[in-house]
Amino acid sequence: MTTFELVTLDETAARPQALGGRRVLRRLRRNPLALAGLIVVVVAVILAIFANQIAPFAPDHTNFSAALTPPSARHWFGTDELGRDQLSRVLFGLRVSLSVAALSVALSLVVGVPLGLAAGFYGFLDPLVSRVADTLLAFPFLILAVGLAAILGPSLGTATIAIGVGNVPAIIRITRSEALRLRGLDFVAAAVADGASDFVVLRRHILPNAVNTLIVQATVAAPAAIIGEAVLSFLGLGIRPPNPSLGVMLASAQPLFRDGPWLAVLPGICIVIVTLGLNLLGDGLRDALDPRESPR
Amino acid sequence: MSGRDMSGTDMSGRDMSGTDMSGTDMNGREAKTVLEVVDLVKHFGPVRAVDGVSLTVAEGEVVGLVGESGSGKSTLGRCVTRLVPVTAGEVHINGTDISRLSRHRLRPLRRDFNIVFQDPASSLNPRMTVGDIISEPLRLHRVGTRVTQEQRVTELLDQVGLQAEVSRRYPHELSGGQRQRVSLARALSAGPSLLVADEPTSALDVSVQAAVLNLIGRLQADLGFACLFVTHDLAAVEFLAQRVAVMYLGVLVEVADREALFAAPRHPYTQALLSAAPIPDPVVQRGRQRIVLSGEVPSPIDPPSGCRFHPRCPVAVPECATVVPALRPVGPSGELVACHLVNDDGTGPRLT
Amino acid sequence: MTAGNGVPEQSARDWTIESVPSVESVPSAESVPSAESVPSVGRVPSVESVPSSLSGRETLLSVRDLSVRFRTEDGPVLAVDAVSFDVGQREVLALVGESGCGKSVTAMALTRLLPSNANISGAVKLGSRSLLDLSEPDLRDVRGKDIAYVFQEPMTSLNPVLTVGRQIGEVLRRHQQMRGAAVIRRATELLDLVGIPLPDRRVREYPHQLSGGMRQRVMIAMAVACRPKLLVADEPTTALDVTVQAGILDVLRDLRAEIGTAVLLITHDLGVVADLADRVVVMYAGRTIEEAGTDVLFARHSHPYTRGLLEAVPNPQRRADGGLREIPGRVPTMRNSPAACTFAARCEFADEQCSRERPALLPGPAGHPVRCFHPLPATAEALT
Repeated sequence: MTTFELVTLDETAARPQALGGRRVLRRLRRNPLALAGLIVVVVAVILAIFANQIAPFAPDHTNFSAALTPPSARHWFGTDELGRDQLSRVLFGLRVSLSVAALSVALSLVVGVPLGLAAGFYGFLDPLVSRVADTLLAFPFLILAVGLAAILGPSLGTATIAIGVGNVPAIIRITRSEALRLRGLDFVAAAVADGASDFVVLRRHILPNAVNTLIVQATVAAPAAIIGEAVLSFLGLGIRPPNPSLGVMLASAQPLFRDGPWLAVLPGICIVIVTLGLNLLGDGLRDALDPRESPR
Repeated sequence: MSGRDMSGTDMSGRDMSGTDMSGTDMNGREAKTVLEVVDLVKHFGPVRAVDGVSLTVAEGEVVGLVGESGSGKSTLGRCVTRLVPVTAGEVHINGTDISRLSRHRLRPLRRDFNIVFQDPASSLNPRMTVGDIISEPLRLHRVGTRVTQEQRVTELLDQVGLQAEVSRRYPHELSGGQRQRVSLARALSAGPSLLVADEPTSALDVSVQAAVLNLIGRLQADLGFACLFVTHDLAAVEFLAQRVAVMYLGVLVEVADREALFAAPRHPYTQALLSAAPIPDPVVQRGRQRIVLSGEVPSPIDPPSGCRFHPRCPVAVPECATVVPALRPVGPSGELVACHLVNDDGTGPRLT
Repeated sequence: MTAGNGVPEQSARDWTIESVPSVESVPSAESVPSAESVPSVGRVPSVESVPSSLSGRETLLSVRDLSVRFRTEDGPVLAVDAVSFDVGQREVLALVGESGCGKSVTAMALTRLLPSNANISGAVKLGSRSLLDLSEPDLRDVRGKDIAYVFQEPMTSLNPVLTVGRQIGEVLRRHQQMRGAAVIRRATELLDLVGIPLPDRRVREYPHQLSGGMRQRVMIAMAVACRPKLLVADEPTTALDVTVQAGILDVLRDLRAEIGTAVLLITHDLGVVADLADRVVVMYAGRTIEEAGTDVLFARHSHPYTRGLLEAVPNPQRRADGGLREIPGRVPTMRNSPAACTFAARCEFADEQCSRERPALLPGPAGHPVRCFHPLPATAEALT
């Protein structure tokens, strides 16, 4: 019946729009790749959290009578040379890997965001902070990790710190450029004119508007951290056997590759899937959080 | 406000009699001077954006600050509200010189003055609701309780012609005109005695522009704040301002009452500026003589010697290139003009 | 007040440029059919049906039922709704309206200069050539040579790493097959034509060495390098100061005298219109709503929206009269062409008919075409 629709956006009755989270979710849903990424990440996190309940065996439960069995109905991911159930080890490994990713990203945010805000907001601090960030960036990540391990002793904590510190320059740079951009906008000037202190300006006006960019950056940094942990554990600088992480599992599978290729392949695939999921989610969030309103 | 009488004595000692007079003489009644700018200088590195400007705005008065891009008019507006540090000179607001106060000492005084900007897209924090934006000055100055702050927001929204439920909206849900109304409500929420309006209508469509100009006029008449209205739009100034200051390349060239300025501009630049703005009436417009200026506005890094307008002035004499003309009162009603060729009785060159 | 209704539809048929647009016969809005991009020649009225308001000029450009739809994330948007107008030889025609009225999209659609999500239908004729039927290479030839554009922001349209002379020269080489020293000579001439002082020095400079006004003059010089028949100037002075604008308007005026170019002037500035235009087409929400000679439009406009636009311009008298005229609400975004007046929601004279019937562009009380059921009476006092 209605052959037309006159969209009148009246001054007094503007159409309320879905806000914040709901709008982002709606936009994410239109992007199948990002949605797939979101599902992968959510499933991985659930599996990691409930590893205790889900895992069919304890990760360090050995059974020499079933050593090096290929994937079967009983051991979906097979067993290693000590007869440990690989599925259980992957689940607990996932927990370690995701924890390292989350903690290291959190560490880099805690250190990098204040420094980036200060550099972007206070011009006189900028040269100093940027120089420190550049120096850190110029330092090879592995050397940094080895150095740290030498001082603190190799452990999961050391790996987390090394990965987190390695990610700080990127966070500083992104926060700084956001602060620089936002500092020039009129609403920040308006806040100053309203009587806001620097802290209030940074806390209420600059930081909330930089959050989107930081979320995207975090989803980019997380898969890198997972791989970083794998590399460090592979080199023996991270978690110590027998505790599993995806990286440790890869490392210990190396000498057994001919007898038990599943030992390397399956954890490897897990790393690929989780990092790919995080990357897709990051890309999708980047689009969904784009401040530009959808064209009318 | 103990500084007020102090600045009064300060004033009499200065060569500022003309500015003083037009500040207090509006409509014959004694009006309190709210803003007094004395020899204000603002340099950005080598760029001499504002180079010695003195100006007053009285209570209840709208002063239009007119100029083209590069004239320094917006910089002056930002200096007056101390959004940028002042290089030299003084800015008295209600008698207190704020030009050299530390930011910390300045903060409580900011209740007394505020600013609205040109671009409705960037002048509101996209992450805050309209209600939070408008009540921000109240929160920062700890005015009232949560409840009274909310009441004030509703009252302000009503004053700027928006419904109370808009307070829950976010800026991106509003049109450009609505955002500009929210900006006005925000700037006025703590009840300032001075409002600086920096091109508040320039980014809006004609019909929306009209509504915002009407609104500023009505609010100003109702609330009685002093207003420095910075714009390049001569028609808007003629509509809204009682007094007009014309700026060129960092200095004022003419300050006069609206009627006097638009009826008989005295400075050659003012004359050229008025003649260049097309009038939306084809019969009038085609019959007008237009003064086309040669060249372009010179760089504020290396402004011309003497009168800054002399390289483009059609009637310049050799003196103009060497001697800086003072802004001095001329004619019976004492309009301020900075031009060697304008006589003390107000007569001078008429460009055609 | 209802004089417009007195005009019988039939008697108007012989001249009206309004033909039934296909949108009204296609009820579904969602299915923007791509087949519509092929303009149906049968719908195009013959040139004889052109309104006689070209003041004796020969028709240069004729636009008939031009519609532009955009496919967007939020569904289709009808930006231009069956727009028809003519531009005469050497005429300055102003297309006036607020943002969102479709004036720029109309100008871009003339030579299909629109993004790929746009769907253009209707007919655009330059002389005897039907532009919308041309292939992309042929159209490229038309752009620049027959129809040239000048946009609001000159810096983004100039290449920062090439001298002004090179950029003008490129146009001359491409469209006029000019070579060698003649190119620079002609480029210098063109800079002189648009009033750039010391043209032989400026021709060797880069865009960043020029001021905004000078860059806009360079853009105009490039645009007129091939003596186009039509210059489309889209808000050419909006980004410029008034003293600079005055010079640019003079250049546009002189071009007509010197090389006989017609100008399609897109602007929201009624002062610029009064200064330069011979004739004005007022657009609102994608439709043309009034069309008249400049003097007539300012003195005896018939559409309430036109009056709203004119009386919104600040003026000290209106302050005494209680303020400027405000138009409540804002320009609607159209999904498809409604059988209604698109201004009805904001119009003080709107009645039931306005929201039920689509008004046609018919001669109003003042004699010129207006799209309104309740046009202002012709005796309307001239603009105060």
